Amino acid sequence: MHQENACALTIVEIEELENIFALLLLGSFVGFPSPPTFLAVELLPFMEKELKMLHKRAEDTGDMLAEMCGTLGID
Amino acid sequence: MKILFFTGKGGVGKSTMSAAGAWQLSQKSRVLLVSLDPAHNLGDIFNITLNQKKTPYTSSLFLKEIDLQQLSHDYLKREINVLSNSYSYLQTLNLDNYFSVLRYSPGIEEYALLTSIEETIRNETEFDYIIFDTPPTGLTLRFLALPKVTITWIDRLIQIRQKILEKRYTIQKIRGPVKEGEDNPEIVLAYNEKDDDVLKRLRRLNDNYQGLTKTLEGKDCSIVLVFNPDILSLKESQRLMEGLNDLNLPLRLMIDNKVTEANTAMANQVEENIKTFAHNVPVERIYISDRIIKRTEGKLCDIPEDIASKLIQQFEENV
Repeated sequence: MHQENACALTIVEIEELENIFALLLLGSFVGFPSPPTFLAVELLPFMEKELKMLHKRAEDTGDMLAEMCGTLGID
Repeated sequence: MKILFFTGKGGVGKSTMSAAGAWQLSQKSRVLLVSLDPAHNLGDIFNITLNQKKTPYTSSLFLKEIDLQQLSHDYLKREINVLSNSYSYLQTLNLDNYFSVLRYSPGIEEYALLTSIEETIRNETEFDYIIFDTPPTGLTLRFLALPKVTITWIDRLIQIRQKILEKRYTIQKIRGPVKEGEDNPEIVLAYNEKDDDVLKRLRRLNDNYQGLTKTLEGKDCSIVLVFNPDILSLKESQRLMEGLNDLNLPLRLMIDNKVTEANTAMANQVEENIKTFAHNVPVERIYISDRIIKRTEGKLCDIPEDIASKLIQQFEENV
């Protein structure tokens, strides 16, 4: 439990970073201007998790408040 | 191994000059002539049928035409293969469709072209000279600029990726290996730089492009600019030279092609003008043969001027 608490924030941070990474690389798939299509293709085989993350972020953006409350542990 | 790129406006005689140069060089050295131009006429010039593979014309001269569409197709197919190894069967089926759309996405052609140049330079080391006959200016500049743009981009991505791995490592230290979701507990995420496929691939790409940039900017690479004695060709040559300058690519020889007695005055003017853009680059004038004008003969080996020695000379001067 303490361990979970200790790394909770880092996990949130990682998710954000992974989302940014995916957005930079695969942005063109979700309508974000992104120059290197070929790089996206090149790395696509290894991007399963990031794609999922991108998807999840896109779904969650509608309810950022709830997301933040969850992060900060407010019930 | 020396690498030569013949560039210039469409129709100035890039293919003819590169073919003549290759033919003359092949009298003494082993030469591979590669046509990158989508409007292939290398086969027509040598009067043989070429395919994607390199074909011997003589024992020391090999020819190859690169089919852009085929190339992008092969490239994507290769990626799909990697994909099917990493993904489960069903997902691959879906993404297969996805990929067929990617084929038409901008940038794929230039990238495929660049990849093929890179592979040619890396694999065909037994040749003394590799000569590339390039497509028209616009596309040429874009694919020549690609390595640098890509390196910058990859650099940034590597930085972010390293940060992600760093954090994963921290979490792993605190609570053991990071698991991906509850439904897929068996997939352990990479937290070590050596285990991360994305970072590994990024690093490999970075190495490839660094190597390519080094080769292209190095002393064994040379850009030959072909132009005609007319204003249009002068303007486009100027633009090309500016582009090459921005990219730090070595322009080492200019060929003023299709000069006749009638347009000598114009040729002088254009040559003078073009020299102001590149002071130390020699200009070689190629007169059009009477026999070609009268259409009595048009064989390649009849080009009397010695292009080969000029091509060799520019390398020696730059050592």
